[in-house]
Amino acid sequence: MAWVRRRLNRVELRLDRREREILLRIVDELRPGLGDDPRTRLHAYDDPHLDEEYQRYSRPEVEQVRAADIDAVRAALSGSDDRFRLSEEEALTWVRALNHLRLVAGARLGIDDDGWEERSDASMLEREEYAMLVTLGWVQENVVAALGS
Amino acid sequence: MPTEAPTRREAPAGRETVRRDMPWNVVVWNDPITLMSYVVLVFRRLFGYDETTATKLMLQVHQEGKAIVASQPREQAEVSVTRLHAFGLQATLARG
Repeated sequence: MAWVRRRLNRVELRLDRREREILLRIVDELRPGLGDDPRTRLHAYDDPHLDEEYQRYSRPEVEQVRAADIDAVRAALSGSDDRFRLSEEEALTWVRALNHLRLVAGARLGIDDDGWEERSDASMLEREEYAMLVTLGWVQENVVAALGS
Repeated sequence: MPTEAPTRREAPAGRETVRRDMPWNVVVWNDPITLMSYVVLVFRRLFGYDETTATKLMLQVHQEGKAIVASQPREQAEVSVTRLHAFGLQATLARG
């Protein structure tokens, strides 16, 4: 059974083999969607000329960090350890990666408005992406809570 | 009407004329997926805000659709936006 806790200056996360396999599958399923949805293609300026400059010089840096974060989480999930003792920086890597992936799941579900949790109908609840969103959200929420404690 | 062209007044000795870089606002926009707790964490980590301030800004983003989270010189504001993007938040900068 998964758990997350703060212990001294580390965030401890326990995921058994099955849980790691599920998360790994989610990572591999959602990762290709990064950049497809406008919400994952981030712009900085309303002025198109200024934004073009930003896209040219800063966006590659963002994409590099994003890829590195997801790679790090994937590598951790691919290992054989049930327990992860994360430094603060490693924990931040996890929550960033989880957020990027949740945005992809949300985009695939067509979620573009607050209150979707209350309005979710049977057709959405049955979608695989919905389960991914909730699963990733559980891990992210708990790591964030541990970081803040 | 003066008959001589006005002379340029020199600044008093010791007082510098500082050219200020006009501040740009760092704006964070709401999105329906990102967890509120995560947004608070990001604001605290990137801007050094305490829990109360970060939560207030997060709620403003959530309830009003956006919030100005910092006002900084343009270069610094762009770095802030880049960092917010790296955390997956929707952020833009606009002249203050």
